[in-house]
Amino acid sequence: MLKGSEIVLRCLRAEGVELAFGYPGGAIMPLYDALPDSGIRHVLTRHEQGAAFAAEGYARATGNVGVAIATSGPGATNLVTGIADAKMDSVPLVCITGQVRNAMIGSDAFQETDVFGLTLALTKWSRLVRSIEELPAVIAEAFHWARSGRPGPVVVDIPTDVLKAKTEFAGPIKFQPHPKPSDIHGDTTFTETLIALLENAKRPVALVGAGAKLAGAVEDLRELLAYLQIPTFATVHGLGAIPPDAPYYLGMVGMHGTRAANLALHETDLLMVFGARLDDRVTGDPSRFAPHARIAHFEIDPSQLDRVRACDLPVIGDLVETIPAFYSAVRRISLPDWTQWRAVACGADRAEPNARGLASPTIRFLDELFRHLPEDSVIVADVGQHQMWAAQRFRSSSPRGFITSGGLGAMGFALPAAIGVQLAKPNTTVVCVSGDGGFQINIQELATVKRLRLPLKMVIIDNKYLGMVRQWQELFYARNYSETDLSDNPDFVEVARAYRIYGDHLDEDAMVEVPVNNAVSGMLERFLRSPEPELLVFDCHPEANVYPMVPAGAALSEMIFEQE
Amino acid sequence: MQAFHIQYRNTQGTLMRILNAASRRGLEMPYVQATPVDHEHAVTLLLEVSPKQIGQLCRDWNAIVDVTRVRAGVPFTVATHAASEWTTPHLPASVRVAANAATGASA
Repeated sequence: MLKGSEIVLRCLRAEGVELAFGYPGGAIMPLYDALPDSGIRHVLTRHEQGAAFAAEGYARATGNVGVAIATSGPGATNLVTGIADAKMDSVPLVCITGQVRNAMIGSDAFQETDVFGLTLALTKWSRLVRSIEELPAVIAEAFHWARSGRPGPVVVDIPTDVLKAKTEFAGPIKFQPHPKPSDIHGDTTFTETLIALLENAKRPVALVGAGAKLAGAVEDLRELLAYLQIPTFATVHGLGAIPPDAPYYLGMVGMHGTRAANLALHETDLLMVFGARLDDRVTGDPSRFAPHARIAHFEIDPSQLDRVRACDLPVIGDLVETIPAFYSAVRRISLPDWTQWRAVACGADRAEPNARGLASPTIRFLDELFRHLPEDSVIVADVGQHQMWAAQRFRSSSPRGFITSGGLGAMGFALPAAIGVQLAKPNTTVVCVSGDGGFQINIQELATVKRLRLPLKMVIIDNKYLGMVRQWQELFYARNYSETDLSDNPDFVEVARAYRIYGDHLDEDAMVEVPVNNAVSGMLERFLRSPEPELLVFDCHPEANVYPMVPAGAALSEMIFEQE
Repeated sequence: MQAFHIQYRNTQGTLMRILNAASRRGLEMPYVQATPVDHEHAVTLLLEVSPKQIGQLCRDWNAIVDVTRVRAGVPFTVATHAASEWTTPHLPASVRVAANAATGASA
């Protein structure tokens, strides 16, 4: 006879779970009681949102399912932002929440919330478990849906009496999904149509999103694009999928994308989208998005098609099947000569003006920081100006080397997510890049970093503002800096010291000298090589802006740049 | 008004997920009828939607784990070419669905 809690943990182990993040509380106590003997390493975060983001970081870094555990009521509601983030960015996440005992459900009991109901719109699948007998099937199904197709978050809500109950346990089971008429299978009948589109295209381009990474199709995609040699750009989640030194690669596209990428996307007559959902930060004004283009959209999730603009050729299926199928077909034809188009799209005159204005020292700092990183390093960026600067300067060809909250844009993501990444990759240099606003949203996770002695490198780009909001206020709200002033920030180095983490400041004046002087270079080298967690606060000009920028509602061709 | 018919396994929350696809878009639901159909359930909705939303909704419903069939237009029990069913790997773009649905499914 096993308790429900023991059955849950055995089923988690059967699904390959070795690491879980969480925060205990009343209703989930039976699970925590059984945890020490489970073979699962549990990481105590200091807030359930930290647990969800850390589990996401682990999942994003490895492709495995992340697991977050919380108690009922506030514990579960604190997971919600992480669940929404995982939904937007297709991250496989299993959240296990305690619930008040069955007899109390619906009575507004202490720490009771309808977690199942409140996460319905945010999850791919969820269950409120009503009996101990359901547990093996529910856990198996939860993991199946979290990792299958387009990955996403699931919630398993377990009443405390189910966790305490005992039953015979025959062992974990394997979930067998019901066949569905619309189940997606790799389909290769699209190739003829796409080749016809390609043969007639004068200005073809490729847009790369996270889908190729999630599908494990990065190598296939690189091979295909190296063969086609067409101008290529990436979404923020697609960064790293294409080697940045590829002669046809134009960098990031979208609101803060490169001039070359945005212009090529605006001018193209054939847009091939590989695993991107065409978020509005990528498209700009949807009615003027790729106005001359026919669109071929490689995508595993049909619900992502036609959201912004109807595509001409939906290629539904796993990219690990559809990309090789297309590559195999395209190699049998004679490709048109796109040399001239490539020369225009990738030409030097398409590079954006060098002027970075007040942001120049910060950009130079990020360049110098990234220059010192080993190739397999991982940057975990928070949300805001620093995120876009980091994305613009990211120069790695490591497919899972740039991790951020892209779809939801959840400030506070980076620090806990970086914890998950560092635990997944203990021998990899992991750099958490945050702003001063976002860092304070989950600053309590410094305690987790210290307890685990993670060699995490934390960078705060401190402009003493909610910088991205301030930038919009400057540009679009007549400099009315309403409630974005953070000039009374704490001394982050002192805060880190209180957590017994070493911290240091670097003023932007140190980055004025070109090339960067040896003292600064040495400081960054030592910072990155330290075996201990460390914090580096870079003091950034309060009114530095991110450019290029496509204003909201503008077309991608209507970028604005820093003025000299 | 556009009629939609969604067949689903009546598991926890599936009907709510189906309705949520409409409610998250702020759509009024003047008519909702859910009934058992063989071993499954089906819900019929009447919604005031734009052609673009028809495609979006059908794809959202199809992405729900326990939804088995989605049709914009006449019910499953009526065999007709005028309805758009989402059963093939290569789902058509919304423009094609919208055109079909508009001719055969106005309610």
